[in-house]
Amino acid sequence: VNQVFESVAKKYDVMNDSMTLGVHRLWKDILVRKMNPSPGTLLLDVAGGTGDIAFRFINYVRSVRQRQLQQRLKHHQNLSWQEIANSYQEDKRNSLGDSQVVVCDINKEMLKVGKEKAQDLGYSEGLSWVLGNAEELPFDDDMFDVYTIAFGIRNVTRIDLALQEAYRVLKPGGRFLCLEFSQVSNPLLSRLYDLYSFQVIPVLGEVIAGDWKSYQYLVESIRRFPPQEEFKAMIEDAGFFKVDYQNLNSGIVAIHSGFKL
Amino acid sequence: VRFQLSPPQRPLQASAVLRRVSDEQKKEPLSSSSQQQFDSQPTDHQPEQEPQGPHPSYTGQGGQESEDYESEEQLQHRILTAALEFVPEHGWTAEAIAEGAKTLGLSGAAAGMFQSNGSQLVLHFVSQCNTKLSELLEQEQKLVQQGEAEKKPTDQFLRDAVEARLRMVIPYIEKWPQAVSILLLPQNIPSSLSLLTSMIDDIWHYAGDQSTDINWYTRRAVLTGIYNTTELVMMQDSSPDFEDTWRFLENRVADAMKMGNTANQVQSTGEALVQGLMGAAVTVSNVETCRAVR
Repeated sequence: VNQVFESVAKKYDVMNDSMTLGVHRLWKDILVRKMNPSPGTLLLDVAGGTGDIAFRFINYVRSVRQRQLQQRLKHHQNLSWQEIANSYQEDKRNSLGDSQVVVCDINKEMLKVGKEKAQDLGYSEGLSWVLGNAEELPFDDDMFDVYTIAFGIRNVTRIDLALQEAYRVLKPGGRFLCLEFSQVSNPLLSRLYDLYSFQVIPVLGEVIAGDWKSYQYLVESIRRFPPQEEFKAMIEDAGFFKVDYQNLNSGIVAIHSGFKL
Repeated sequence: VRFQLSPPQRPLQASAVLRRVSDEQKKEPLSSSSQQQFDSQPTDHQPEQEPQGPHPSYTGQGGQESEDYESEEQLQHRILTAALEFVPEHGWTAEAIAEGAKTLGLSGAAAGMFQSNGSQLVLHFVSQCNTKLSELLEQEQKLVQQGEAEKKPTDQFLRDAVEARLRMVIPYIEKWPQAVSILLLPQNIPSSLSLLTSMIDDIWHYAGDQSTDINWYTRRAVLTGIYNTTELVMMQDSSPDFEDTWRFLENRVADAMKMGNTANQVQSTGEALVQGLMGAAVTVSNVETCRAVR
C-alpha cells in the first residue's frame, strides 16, 4: 500500500478529479458540512495526505467564526468606537477561534504534497502535519473532538485496529466520521459503476499518472471494502454509539458517523 | 403522548460519560475513560447504585435499559437540558447544544447527534415544560383532595394553569419567536401539535372535565385558542412582569366561559325540547292504548 501511494502522491489530486469527474469535492464538502464544526474544535484527519478535508475544515471554521464575531458586534452597538476597535484587534489574532487540524498520514510523500499545497493556498495557522499509522496513532488518549478518515480506511490492513485507535484518541463526546466508497444498491447503477471502474479508471491511471497497477488496486480495494451495514457493525464493535451512515450518490460513497459516549 | 427522541438501544457500558446513575452524582462533571466506577466525593462513598433517580424521562418505560447504566437517550436528554442554559445567548441552535455538551464534560462534537436546526432542543424544552405543568397541577389537586386548599372555580383554574405554563417560557422569551418558528416547520408539526394537545388535555383533566360528548372537542379547541393567542401576546408584551398578557388571558377566559354558558343553555333547551317531545309521544301512545282497551 505504501508504495502505491508514494508513486501516486504527486498526481493524487489530479487523478481524483478525473476519476470522479470532480464530484469528490462535493463529497468532501458534504462531509465537513455534516461535521458542522464550531470554532475551538480539534480535528484529527487521518490518511488525509494532501489536506483536502483539513482545508475545508479551516474554511468552514473561519466563516463560522466570522459570523460569531458579527453577532457579537451587533450586541456591542452601545460600546464606544475605541472599544469596538480594540475588540477587532483581539479577534483578528483569533480568526480560527483556537480550532486546529492535525493531518496524519502514513506516507511522507503525501504529507509533503499537502504541506506545499497549504503554502500555495495560503493556509498558515491551525495546521499540523504528522507522520503516523492509523493502526497505531502517535497520540495520547482523549485528545480530539473529531476524527475523520476520507477515502483512507479501505487501505488499512486491520480496519478494526484503526477503529479502536480512533475510539482511543477521541474525547468523550467526540465524533468519528468516515467518508468511503461503498456498495451501490441500485442494480442498474451498479452495473454502470462496475463498467466505469474496471474499464475507465485504470486507463485514466495510465494516461494521467503513468500507473495502471495502482489504480487497478484502487478499484479492487473499493470492491473488497465491507458494505454499509457491515461497516456500521464494525464501528459499533469498536465502542461507538449512535452509529449511522448516509449514502451519497445512491451508495457510491457513504459517510459513516459514530460518537464516543 | 410524550416526545421521544429515538428508541433506546443497547446500554452504554464501558464509557466515560455514561456512568452509573445515582441521585447525587447526576450533576457531576465526568472524568476519564479509564474509570468505570464513579466516585463523586471522597467523603460520600456510594458503593451500590440505586436504580434510575428522579430524572425526568420522556420514554414510555422508566427510561432504563439495564439496571445501572444510562442509555443514549437519557444522555441526549441531559445534554439538551444542559444546553437550555445557553439558549438566551446562542438561540435554539447547534451551538447551544455544543455548549451544553461541554458543560457535561463532553466534546462539543457531541452536538452532531442532534439535528442542526435545533428542533430537538425546542421540542425537548416544550416537553419538559409540559411535564412540569402536569406535576404542578397534580400537586395542586392533591392539596385540594387533602382539604388543604380550596377548589378553584374553572375560570380561575384555567387562568392559573395557562399563566404557570407560559411563565416557564419567560427566561427564553427573547429567543421564543425563533422557537415558535421551529415548531411550525413541517417536519416538526406532528410532534409540536401532539405536545400541545396533550398539554391542553392535561389542563382540562385537572380542571375536572368529565365530558365525553361534543363538549370535549369544543373545550380543547377553545383552550388551545386561548393558549396560542396569549402566547403571541406575551411575545411582544413589554409591560412589567407581563401584566398586559395576564389581563388579556383573563379576558379571553371570561369570554370563553360566557360562550360556554350560552352553549349549555342551547343544549339544555334542546334537551328540554326532546323531553317534551318524548313526553308528548308517551302521552299520545297511552291515550291510544286506553282508547284501544276501552
